[in-house]
Amino acid sequence: MNTQAIGGCDPQSAICARGITRDFEAGQTTIRVLHGIDADVRSGEMTYVVGESGSGKTTLISIMCGILYPTAGEVKVFGTDIYKLTDTELVNFRLNNIGFIFQQYNLIPSIDAAANAAVPLIAKGMAVNEARERAKVLLEKLNILDQADKLPRQLSGGQQQRVAIARALVHEPRLVVCDEPTAALDARSGRRVMDLLREVAVAPDRACIIVTHDNRIFDLADRIIVLEDGRITHDGKDMPDDH
Amino acid sequence: MALLPRNLSFSRQILPIIAVVGVIMAAWFIIGKLPNRDTVEPAEQPPKAVGALANAPRVAGAGIVEPASEVIDIGSALSGLVTDVRVKPGDRVAQGEVLFTVDARAARASLTQAAAAISEARAAISEAMAAERTARQQLDLYRSLTDPAAVSRAEVIRAEGEEAAATSRLGLARARLAATQAAAAAARTEIERLTVRAPIAGEILAVNIRPGEFVATQGGGNTQPFIQMGDTDPLHVRIDIDENEAARVKLGAPAVVSPRGAAELHVNAAFVRAEPQVVPKRSLTNSAAERVDVRVVQLIYALPESDDFRVGQQVDAFIPAKDAPADTEG
Amino acid sequence: MLTGDAQKFYGLLFGIAFSTLLITQQMTIFVNLVQRGASGVYNAPEAEVWVMDPVSRTTDVSYAMPPTALDKVRSVKGVEWAVPHLRAQATVRTREGDLEGVAVIGVDDATLIGLPERMAKGDKSVLFAPDAVAVDDTGALNFFPSEIDPVGERLELNDQRAVIRGVADAIPSFTSTVVLYTRYSNALNFVPGTRNRLSFVLVGVSEGQTPSDVAARIERETGLKARTRDEFAQAGVNFIIENTGIPTNFGITVFLGFVVGVAIVGLTFSLFIRDNIKQFGALKAIGVTNGKIITMVGAQAGLVGLIGYALGVIGTVLFISAFSSNPFFKGFYIPWQIPLISFVAVVIILAITGLIAIRSVLKTEPASVFR
Repeated sequence: MNTQAIGGCDPQSAICARGITRDFEAGQTTIRVLHGIDADVRSGEMTYVVGESGSGKTTLISIMCGILYPTAGEVKVFGTDIYKLTDTELVNFRLNNIGFIFQQYNLIPSIDAAANAAVPLIAKGMAVNEARERAKVLLEKLNILDQADKLPRQLSGGQQQRVAIARALVHEPRLVVCDEPTAALDARSGRRVMDLLREVAVAPDRACIIVTHDNRIFDLADRIIVLEDGRITHDGKDMPDDH
Repeated sequence: MALLPRNLSFSRQILPIIAVVGVIMAAWFIIGKLPNRDTVEPAEQPPKAVGALANAPRVAGAGIVEPASEVIDIGSALSGLVTDVRVKPGDRVAQGEVLFTVDARAARASLTQAAAAISEARAAISEAMAAERTARQQLDLYRSLTDPAAVSRAEVIRAEGEEAAATSRLGLARARLAATQAAAAAARTEIERLTVRAPIAGEILAVNIRPGEFVATQGGGNTQPFIQMGDTDPLHVRIDIDENEAARVKLGAPAVVSPRGAAELHVNAAFVRAEPQVVPKRSLTNSAAERVDVRVVQLIYALPESDDFRVGQQVDAFIPAKDAPADTEG
Repeated sequence: MLTGDAQKFYGLLFGIAFSTLLITQQMTIFVNLVQRGASGVYNAPEAEVWVMDPVSRTTDVSYAMPPTALDKVRSVKGVEWAVPHLRAQATVRTREGDLEGVAVIGVDDATLIGLPERMAKGDKSVLFAPDAVAVDDTGALNFFPSEIDPVGERLELNDQRAVIRGVADAIPSFTSTVVLYTRYSNALNFVPGTRNRLSFVLVGVSEGQTPSDVAARIERETGLKARTRDEFAQAGVNFIIENTGIPTNFGITVFLGFVVGVAIVGLTFSLFIRDNIKQFGALKAIGVTNGKIITMVGAQAGLVGLIGYALGVIGTVLFISAFSSNPFFKGFYIPWQIPLISFVAVVIILAITGLIAIRSVLKTEPASVFR
């Protein structure tokens, strides 16, 4: 791992993004969504990326976790300049280092909870039964072991989300990316999910990025990055007052 | 498949098993029902060339069995009622043996009549001879008298006339005897002609007359011959060869002959002769009235002693061909 | 994933099963129907080579030869045996006085070579009786109601009396004409006379010779036309194909089956992919490569394809066996090549539709799952 600080990167940073610019083609015109963003995400912290719809937070998070190429700038994840990797290397890098929790969970409908949670392990080439056992350990930790043999459509929303969390963590990634985890939940459930996430996802050597605009959970953040119109307007422990 | 669950699912586990089992059963059904298009061996042996001929150039022909003498249709010289038939089919007869006789009563009557006439003629001759003798003695007596006055001249002349008349009467009687003898011979010939005899030694093949039937000398075109016979030792077989094939035949070589319907029998037949004339093919392939424009060369072969052949039987024959004719192998 | 959605799963299953059924069943009927053109050849199982006039084309389109052709053929080296065979059309008068066209087949007098392999009723030797004919089983049904036993019935053929003495177990002809088998000499009487009567010479080949060699030698040495059994059967089939609209009709149906398969399967597939595009996006984001996604979808499509194919083939088998007692379908079989052809068709259908559908998955940006 390249730990040398380049371009002002802190060697301790899980993610070090420098000069991220992203343009989208929209017919004849080009819309610049991100304007040269510099951002750092540190391990052991729960980092919130907050912004209105259209502020560019989704684009930023996509670029930071290696699923969208920036127009300009570079991103180092644990010291690896991920956009200098080949496509296959990038896919494998994501598989080995990043866990995803999607807003709509995106569980595979035809396979049961344990198999869904085991998808990253199976994709890595682990035998199905072993992967399921590993996933079940995590499901037990998330208190839904009794649902392990059910299909996603047989589970409640909360249960589905726990399966999604299990899927994000089962291969012990060093970076967890979580998209609007509380958007569909009431305040109490949302808090419980956030507590759960903090309990299972945050570890000293693991970074956790949460994309949200849910102000009810801002107080749980270790660090909040606020985006407005493609520029970072705030980066700190607490939320600025105007939000 | 890596994503299949633990629990049994109809669509993911039972259905595929059903599918696989179904496909196997369908395959079994399909393979089991495939039609058998193999050729089969004929149940009965068809005629075929055997032995050395099987792999040698050969000519095939259909033939018919006939006596060595060919079939002789016995006729009758005179018409009349059949009185006696002395032979039956299958009999072997010597040359000259009586086959049948035709009513000879009329002829016999003429013979009897002729015999009577002969007797009468003989009596007339005796009488004429006696008269002549008497006349001559009388004349001699007159002539021996030296005394011319002993008998009158007129007496002598009368005696000379009587002697001459007796002589000519004898001649007449002799001529009559010859005539009646000729009539008797004619009657005997007639009787002989009414007895039909075998022209050659041979076997009676067919008898189509019975005593009491009328035989006519002028047989119509459709009448059967009265008796058929022929020399069946040996039997000959007359084989028709298509004129186009005839040039290939190796004349003089023995033929392999099988009777119709008994193709497993094969006999070697010795070459006898080839008919000098090419003739239109006659019915040899079973048709009742075959009208063909094919001409054939007829070859005659002698069959060995065998019980398997009958006169008139159809045969299939294979004859060796001349070795490797250039025009057929090219 | 496919099996998780019952509607689409059964939709796909139906599409493939329907296509398979249509393609397999129609091709089976087609093949069997045109093979009727070769039934005359297959009904004379002993003949390895058929010799005919050079202008003859099939068992039913033939020109008679002079009788010495038989001897010419017998003269050819490699011919183990040769027997006459007569095939002609005749008009028959039934007991009721109805006229009916029949095919008269004259088989060799002594050996009965040229008869079908089996008799349905009676023994082959019944033909040795005077005026005896054997009728083929399908034709017998055309001739007589099924409750009447044809054996013993009298017919009038060309002013000759013919008595049905047996029923042959024959493959029906393409036109389902009644076929009367009789001995060659009888057939000559049953068929109005023409100058030449010998339609074919059936030939058996000596051991160690191949039928094609012998056929070539017969052609060279006699000037007649000689065809091996397989060639002549093919000629009969080709005659049907060239002279009827059957190939077009069945070709259209098979093509429609294929198109319907592509349409149903393609639509269902695309719907399925569209409904699950988010899941595919998620998998791509997690780090599942395109290759693995294609493998996964391919395996599922293969499973669906296999089940659908199996159902289609089973359907065809059931169809054929259910109708096997119908005279029209007598002797129908499924050539083993046809299920393989329909299998290839299913693979092509799935490959075409699967590739079209999965293209959108491959093009999906993993980032789309965040939107």
